[in-house]
Amino acid sequence: METPLKSMGQPTPQSFQPGPQPAPGSERPVECSQIAQFAKLDDLLALGRSYSLWPLTFGLACCAIEMMAAGMARWDLARFGAEVFRPSPRQADVMIVAGTVNKKMAPAVKLLYDQMLEPKWVIALGNCALSGGPFNFAGQYGIVEGVDKLFPVDVYVPGCPPRPEAIIEGILKLEEKITGKRHFPVAKLKE
Amino acid sequence: MIARKDSLSAAPDGQGPQETFVLNLGPQHPAAHGVLRVLTTMEGEWIQRAEPVIGYIHRMHEKMGENRTWAKFLPNTSRIDYLSAMHYTHAFVGVVERALKIEVPARAEYIRVITSELNRIASHMVWWGALLSDLGGLTPFLYAFDDREKILDLLEGLCGARLTYCYYRFGGLYNDADDDFLNGTRAFVKHMPPRLRMYRDLVSDNIILRKRLEEIGPISAEMCRRYGATGPVIRGAGVAYDVRRCEPYSVYPKFDFKIPTYPQADSMARYLVRMDEMEQSLRIIDQALDQITAGPFMAPKVPRVIKLPPGDYCYAVEAARGRFMVRIVSDGKEMPYRLKLRTPSFSNLSLFEEASRGMILPDALAMMGSLDLVIPDIDR
Amino acid sequence: MNATLERLTSQFVQLIGPAAVPANLPVRAAAGPHEPATAAAIPAPVPAAAPATVPTAAASAAVATGTPAAPKPAAPAVPPPPPPSPVQVVDHALKGYHFDATVSPDQVVSAASILDREGFALDAVTGVDWIAQSQMEVVYDYFHPVNGLRAVVRTRVNRAEPELATISNVFSGANWHEREAHDFFGLRFTGHPNLTPFLLPEDATFHPLRKDYQP
Repeated sequence: METPLKSMGQPTPQSFQPGPQPAPGSERPVECSQIAQFAKLDDLLALGRSYSLWPLTFGLACCAIEMMAAGMARWDLARFGAEVFRPSPRQADVMIVAGTVNKKMAPAVKLLYDQMLEPKWVIALGNCALSGGPFNFAGQYGIVEGVDKLFPVDVYVPGCPPRPEAIIEGILKLEEKITGKRHFPVAKLKE
Repeated sequence: MIARKDSLSAAPDGQGPQETFVLNLGPQHPAAHGVLRVLTTMEGEWIQRAEPVIGYIHRMHEKMGENRTWAKFLPNTSRIDYLSAMHYTHAFVGVVERALKIEVPARAEYIRVITSELNRIASHMVWWGALLSDLGGLTPFLYAFDDREKILDLLEGLCGARLTYCYYRFGGLYNDADDDFLNGTRAFVKHMPPRLRMYRDLVSDNIILRKRLEEIGPISAEMCRRYGATGPVIRGAGVAYDVRRCEPYSVYPKFDFKIPTYPQADSMARYLVRMDEMEQSLRIIDQALDQITAGPFMAPKVPRVIKLPPGDYCYAVEAARGRFMVRIVSDGKEMPYRLKLRTPSFSNLSLFEEASRGMILPDALAMMGSLDLVIPDIDR
Repeated sequence: MNATLERLTSQFVQLIGPAAVPANLPVRAAAGPHEPATAAAIPAPVPAAAPATVPTAAASAAVATGTPAAPKPAAPAVPPPPPPSPVQVVDHALKGYHFDATVSPDQVVSAASILDREGFALDAVTGVDWIAQSQMEVVYDYFHPVNGLRAVVRTRVNRAEPELATISNVFSGANWHEREAHDFFGLRFTGHPNLTPFLLPEDATFHPLRKDYQP
């Protein structure tokens, strides 16, 4: 459970610490947080964001059914504040890429990602979104081998398809990444 | 109900042709059940032409079939139509058994029938919830998934997977059904009929649903035949075509069940066919549980390395969406020479362009919901 | 035997019989740029495989008189040889279909019309790439929605010039199936309303299920 998250994409509140000033002449863009610091406000915002993640209703294949199941009564994603599925990318914070992305679909997926407003996060759900999964074979002609070839991914959830528990854990990991702190206990495997 | 508009391309006042515009629906659209794209040419509210554009989830199953051995392709079958994985696996193991002339033990056949029918109910529950949420009511979705989870628990205990089961093997099953499964299924068969009655009271008799579905999206038997549409679509047009009856496979001839048909050929007919099918599936499961006997669950002699005699073989099953057929061509090697998957959703969607002409868009989407599409099943 | 199957058999024998010029397939094959050996070999085995499976006497006579047997390739017989008789009634339990007919490429539309009149529905249209014989087999699967019969009609075209007529005028559903077959195998269906990439991206020019396809 302590696997380090791939830190790509958006500045998370961890990076809102007072950082070193960029060296003169460096090409790194100046971030807002380097000029003005609102540490407590940022923490508060991050907490709010992490418990009101609005995922994009974006089902591609098999994993979408498990994503739907995770939102239903039994698994109840609402307990963790991520049940408000939005059909429009303009209203969504987190894109759960649930299924295989093929080369015909890739431009549309990229467009959806670009249409989402900052701050935005991506969960790659299922082996297909991770690496192409079972459809990644020598001589394949159709699929994108991993959605991180298109845009940065925050949380990877393996499985074919991942169980709803895994999806919930993916959401919790994302919340941990946003706030920098895990608020829910880590489930322990039975001996 | 808004009547179907038959005379397009003429303004209501007869002042010459009306302007049309192209409306792109999808490939990411919440009402399209996945990545279906429909290019609609609209004339005001009316559809002049709605052309489905598919291929957004084409996953090369047929190419993969030529690249791996028979056994290695087995997990693929459950990912073609993930909602009725059992049926698809059944067709694939069935075609290999047919080519090798493997006799499957009776117990395995009964367990196959039980699991297939459970899977059919689970699939119809998803369709039911999705159709109703297309029409604007999310509550049934919660009920549907609640019952579906009970089935998934049973099947998970059997084979470890919740959705993409790979339970059947060439000549039998992955493992035997234990008492937990059989008792759990008995309990489920008792649990389900009151729920179905509740669904009828809650939803099927609901005036809003009836207004949205009745006389909407007529698909005649002749149109089904021309397009090769099967499953609840053709049964909703009054034709009792069911592969379980017409090309009997497994032990289905031993069961007494009805093939529900409705002659109205509208969306409501297809809705009612599926609701009745769930009852019939329960009847089949009930009889199978009574008839099942102890015995082996694998055929005694299944070759370790499977090589099929040269030739072509077909095997069709009645999946939740209709007729699914595997056609294989073998050249005697360890891998298929050609593997063709004939999927029901492909044929069922192909009539959409003709059937939706002259409808208003919301009705066309209601009709699309009543076709019960699974997009990876279309694109394969 | 089933009455529908009997009617089908006699109609198909009629269809194939009169057009018995054994040049049907070979001409097309000879027109292709390569494989002269195959082209030469095809006309040879004409009455050799005289069909015994055709049930009615008249029918078998008609077939025996002049129907070309399905092409026997000269190339090494790695793939299975095509069925010996052009019209066969098959045991469903063994093969999964009841009726099997091999016609020449210009007869597929007439074959579809026969099955249409008999009330069959189109199941699928697909190709099989017989690269060793430089041929492309096109398989039409039909099912009957009322009595559940299954019929298969197959034909072979030259692999270099895979062209044959569309049946989408007979069965509207063939439109999509033929587009798919065009995608995968590069089969060109003449007269098809819209033979553009279907499952592949819009700009695709490759045909992935051809055996010589390299990504």
